[in-house]
Amino acid sequence: MPRIVREAEIDWEGTTARGSGVVTGLSSGAFALATTIASRVADPEGKTSPEELLAAAHASCYVTSLGSELARIGTPPERMHVHCLITMDEVEGMGHRIVSSGITARGVVPGADAATFAQAAEAADAGCPFSALIRASATVTIHAELEGAS
Amino acid sequence: MADRTATVTWGGSLMEGAGTIESVGSGSFGPLDVTWASRAEDSDGRTSPEELIAAAHAACFSMALSHALAQAGFPAERLETSATVTFVPGTGITKSALTVRATVPGIDEATFHEQAEGARVGCPVSKALAAVPEITLDAALS
Repeated sequence: MPRIVREAEIDWEGTTARGSGVVTGLSSGAFALATTIASRVADPEGKTSPEELLAAAHASCYVTSLGSELARIGTPPERMHVHCLITMDEVEGMGHRIVSSGITARGVVPGADAATFAQAAEAADAGCPFSALIRASATVTIHAELEGAS
Repeated sequence: MADRTATVTWGGSLMEGAGTIESVGSGSFGPLDVTWASRAEDSDGRTSPEELIAAAHAACFSMALSHALAQAGFPAERLETSATVTFVPGTGITKSALTVRATVPGIDEATFHEQAEGARVGCPVSKALAAVPEITLDAALS
């Protein structure tokens, strides 16, 4: 398979405490977003942060893995909804660390029961490149909810 | 402790379907479209998990370096950082390449490179990506 390369950049002006940055998706041009240290560690006040970008990366990576897995077992999804919550915490002796990523996956999946969906959700975690990476240093949890199941 | 969230929806199959990063906790972006084609082939104006990882890494590195330079007594005027993330389908994310061009009044080359290397190793996103085989840094004063 070919290598896929994606690029982003940030321009930062001033100190960490009082300065600010603008982070841009260079490959796509799809976003240019303000970020500050205050919005990262305290209230976001409408600004993004590395952890929020990782949450978006994990949710969008996981959703494609879940769709592939459901198709592979013969129950392609009609619709999936994935929520991701990334937590950064101060760990004694290690400074700030990203300690966990919590995925909640909901799906409308004709022909699948709750157990099948839950199994597919676990298999999707095992097959998601981002899950594989972040599990080396943080806890990944998967919560699966099949919609419209009796 | 800081919690950050994002929500993505997807309709249809992997190859022909499409997804949307509907919203994020801060409200700073979304909806943004994502598709398999825009991830694996030409981005065609759409973002992808790898581009978002690149954005997270570049932003985290810049904050860490800015903080380290200030602590060392040389606050930066300006940092311009890019991150390029490589994804090989079937293998995974194999590389994140950081490039920084920095305007730091009064600093010498050795101190700058020492602080830049510290930020490469120590920023929280680098630590979260510790399983990536290669995290490289090209740092220079401008």
